[in-house]
Amino acid sequence: MEFLSALDPLFFFLIFAGSLIGIVFGAIPGMTATMAVAVCLPLTYALDLNHGLALLLGLYVGGISGGLVPAILLNIPGTPSSITTTFDGYPMTQRGEGERALKVGIVSSLFGGLLSAAVLFFFAPVLADVAIKFSYVEKFLIIFFALTVIASLSRNLLMGLFSGVIGVWLALIGTYDVSYGGNGDTRLMFDFMEPYLAEGFSLLPVLIGLFGVATILDEAEKGIKENTADMKLSLQKGAKFSFSVFRKQKINLLRSGFIGTFIGMLPGVGGSAASVLSYTQAKNFSRHPEKLGTGEPEGVIASEASNNGLTGGALIPLLSLGIPGDSTTAVLIGAFTLQGVQVGPLFIGENLDTWNTMMVALLTANLMMFVTMFFAIKYIARVVMVPKYILYPIIMMMCVVGAYAINYGVMFDVWTLLLFGVGGYLAAKVGIEVAPLVIGFILGGQAEVYFVKSLESFGTLTIFFTKSPIAMFLWVLIFISVGYSIYTAVKAHRQKQAGDNGK
Amino acid sequence: MKKRTLSLCLAVGVIFLLSTTYSLAADKLISGNLRIVIGSKSTGGDTYQNSAIVADALAKKLDINVKVDAVGATAAFNTLKRVSNGSTVMIFHDQSYLGYLYGQKGYENPFEQYRIGPTVAINPGNAYLVAKKSPYKNVDEVLKACAEGNNIRVAIQPGGVSEIGYSAMKNAIKIQYPGKEECLVAVNRGSQSDKNQAMFDGLADVINGSVQANEQYTRLPADDQKAMSFIWLTARSKTIQQANPEGMGETSRADLLKYVDPNVNVTQDGKKNFTFDKEFFFLYNKDMNPAIVAELDRALSEIFAEGKIQETQKKSFFIPNFMPSSEAEAYLKDKMAQYEVILKALHK
Amino acid sequence: MGNSGLLQVSIDFAQSHLFFPRIIHWLLLIMLVLIAVLQGIPYYRELRAGRKSLPFTSGPFDAPRLFGTIVLTIAYFLSMSYVGDLFPNTGLGFLFMSIPYMFALSLLYLHQRNRRHLLRVTVNAFIAPVVAWYVLAKLFNITLP
Repeated sequence: MEFLSALDPLFFFLIFAGSLIGIVFGAIPGMTATMAVAVCLPLTYALDLNHGLALLLGLYVGGISGGLVPAILLNIPGTPSSITTTFDGYPMTQRGEGERALKVGIVSSLFGGLLSAAVLFFFAPVLADVAIKFSYVEKFLIIFFALTVIASLSRNLLMGLFSGVIGVWLALIGTYDVSYGGNGDTRLMFDFMEPYLAEGFSLLPVLIGLFGVATILDEAEKGIKENTADMKLSLQKGAKFSFSVFRKQKINLLRSGFIGTFIGMLPGVGGSAASVLSYTQAKNFSRHPEKLGTGEPEGVIASEASNNGLTGGALIPLLSLGIPGDSTTAVLIGAFTLQGVQVGPLFIGENLDTWNTMMVALLTANLMMFVTMFFAIKYIARVVMVPKYILYPIIMMMCVVGAYAINYGVMFDVWTLLLFGVGGYLAAKVGIEVAPLVIGFILGGQAEVYFVKSLESFGTLTIFFTKSPIAMFLWVLIFISVGYSIYTAVKAHRQKQAGDNGK
Repeated sequence: MKKRTLSLCLAVGVIFLLSTTYSLAADKLISGNLRIVIGSKSTGGDTYQNSAIVADALAKKLDINVKVDAVGATAAFNTLKRVSNGSTVMIFHDQSYLGYLYGQKGYENPFEQYRIGPTVAINPGNAYLVAKKSPYKNVDEVLKACAEGNNIRVAIQPGGVSEIGYSAMKNAIKIQYPGKEECLVAVNRGSQSDKNQAMFDGLADVINGSVQANEQYTRLPADDQKAMSFIWLTARSKTIQQANPEGMGETSRADLLKYVDPNVNVTQDGKKNFTFDKEFFFLYNKDMNPAIVAELDRALSEIFAEGKIQETQKKSFFIPNFMPSSEAEAYLKDKMAQYEVILKALHK
Repeated sequence: MGNSGLLQVSIDFAQSHLFFPRIIHWLLLIMLVLIAVLQGIPYYRELRAGRKSLPFTSGPFDAPRLFGTIVLTIAYFLSMSYVGDLFPNTGLGFLFMSIPYMFALSLLYLHQRNRRHLLRVTVNAFIAPVVAWYVLAKLFNITLP
């Protein structure tokens, strides 16, 4: 138990400071956990490994959690993985239940975080061996599985699917990136665009453009009607938070937490797929799927439990294969190497003290995030009472900061913001659905790489069915999920018709 | 009235903040904020780490703010072309001309488009590995297997540093066993995890990797699916000799030297062996003030003369390698010319 | 394995960047045709019958605020990178241009332009960018335009 000596007051203070700064970063649209960890990395040069990790893990957990604040209150995902939080969180805010939605989100976050930390602690090396069983074929099926959510999210099935495919198309613009195994050639653009679009459109500027800027333009068109007085009223009127919300959501919590942990564990698949996938499953298995997307705590729970589940999940391949599970843990590798500690399959065995300290830090970070957020929420929730003529300019400014900073200073990312803001505003007018489009955009790049690479490796389409038992199992899941959502849709349709006839 | 006073107060506040930033000597050549853009998008990778070490030393030496921004190759080259006033410079490695030689989008001949600055360090870790259970135990056996007509699949990331060793092996087969080079096949993958995965999936016989990322895999027991062994480090022997004796992890410098020329033979032209050191160097805007170039050269030679930076670099498994800009340019030009010969011969 | 012949796919690596986009183009085309047939035609009928109106023509339309926002934002972005180049790597382009932009945008959105509101707008236009710039560019050393 030598590691206990590392647990001094400074250690806990750093976790606290980390989670606080992380929350702030996560809460600013466009600022992410990755960025929080990256900017604070130099601070750890002065600290020893244990204290450095305390700070960075605090930032990681805080940053992932903070994303739910703007998602719920402003309908802008603070981080890509909180996109599905907006689907139900924002409608709740509009009903005056912002505070409740936030609390539901935070409790779910805590649960997801703790669950994944436990999984990490007990099963890391075993799961690493499971993770390497997932090759391109299996990863493609997972992405495909996540993409099926588009069907159940669409208001109009055909338009929804069309929007999703447009999203995928937008994601393909740019080079077929060599760092994912592509050949580095550009497509879907003219030569003069190359200097700007070689890397394609960056995810975050696109997200905050479509959600943040487009919403502001939409409001501007309607003349920026102030309704803060209503908001004030509804803030008191809306349903209050109580833990009883979770009584019927135990399975949802567990399922979402596990999905998050599991997806986090697969290198390259990334965070957004996790929350999308668990949102799909929450919708499929819900007793009233038609209500999801209209402000149901169930949706917030699914999304938040899974995106915090990522934290522990993404650390699994990092600590037991030396391979980062997501972009934030990729930065953490830097912290280890700077301290002269190698991560790889032997890390845990050779650095037992560091490993134990990290687990304590992860656990504490989750708890501190929870306490900080839970008590600050009453005040944070009042953001909705700030008049729009003050709030919107601030949002615009912060979106610019986030877009510019996401790739460490590329002006084109700022223009992307406006491009997708105007584009999103216009697209909504002709019936294009934003949510499916965004999901297509987020998952499109990976869908391509995994699909094309699978075929390149095996040369036949049958491989998607015959590669491994895991692939077959995934197909079963996909069929159950799609079949079930068709079944419920048909049932809902019949009920509606019956209801109409009854009138 | 109240409003005006308030805005006045604010304006004064802003000016005060700014003045504290700018009171620092404006007459110096390099003042205020120097931005180093790097050709990698990762802040966890070797380019960032190496640049951070150099940036830190420069900031202290010149008493300025130095900031490293991981914008990625395309954006970094764009920025470098646009900004000529010396406020932004770039650090990158051999990829900057290898990308051009391999015809990658976004890469141009760096010697024509930019000005080459000093070299600062080498990452000696570029390595090739096989599975521990592989029938091939060393490079010789791999090359011979090809000569006998067996297909050998090598997982690389195409278009640069990761491919150059593969091209060299192909070239060696072409020289030693003409006509058999088609048996060495590239398996195009992306990140290190993709390359490892190709081996675990049984889709690659040899993978490109690095000492830093793969050393622990080489220490796994042979019955572990993930176990690998080094067969070749592309670095020059004299580079590895400068590493700390402890080497990396549990693999000592002496162990590492076993996988380096002349213990591994990958011929470049039938006479000498091919080697590749991943060297980090500065790139400047073509029209940057020569006085700033000289100033950076001077600052860096002083830093390296003091000898502290070398310790930091070695601790992170970098080999110090300072050459002032003129020397660096001639050296790198020659390096590129040698590799150009190999690639031209292969792509005929 | 004769029956799997149809499913055989061989991809030339040099051209592999076009493989997936081609599939997506076909998908888009097919769906576009489906949408035109299944939804376009009924929509056109309703339009002819006057039961529906074209998009963009219904509801309130506040042209000054909408186009004002877009024009101001374009001016903001352009001026920001221009001013930013005058003070390289300091983030001052962002700071100096955010203040007038936020002020102008707030004025545009304000319905009653009385003294109390103007005061709030001014204070906000100054404090928000200064705080953002100070915390991010100075404390956290984040690159801003």
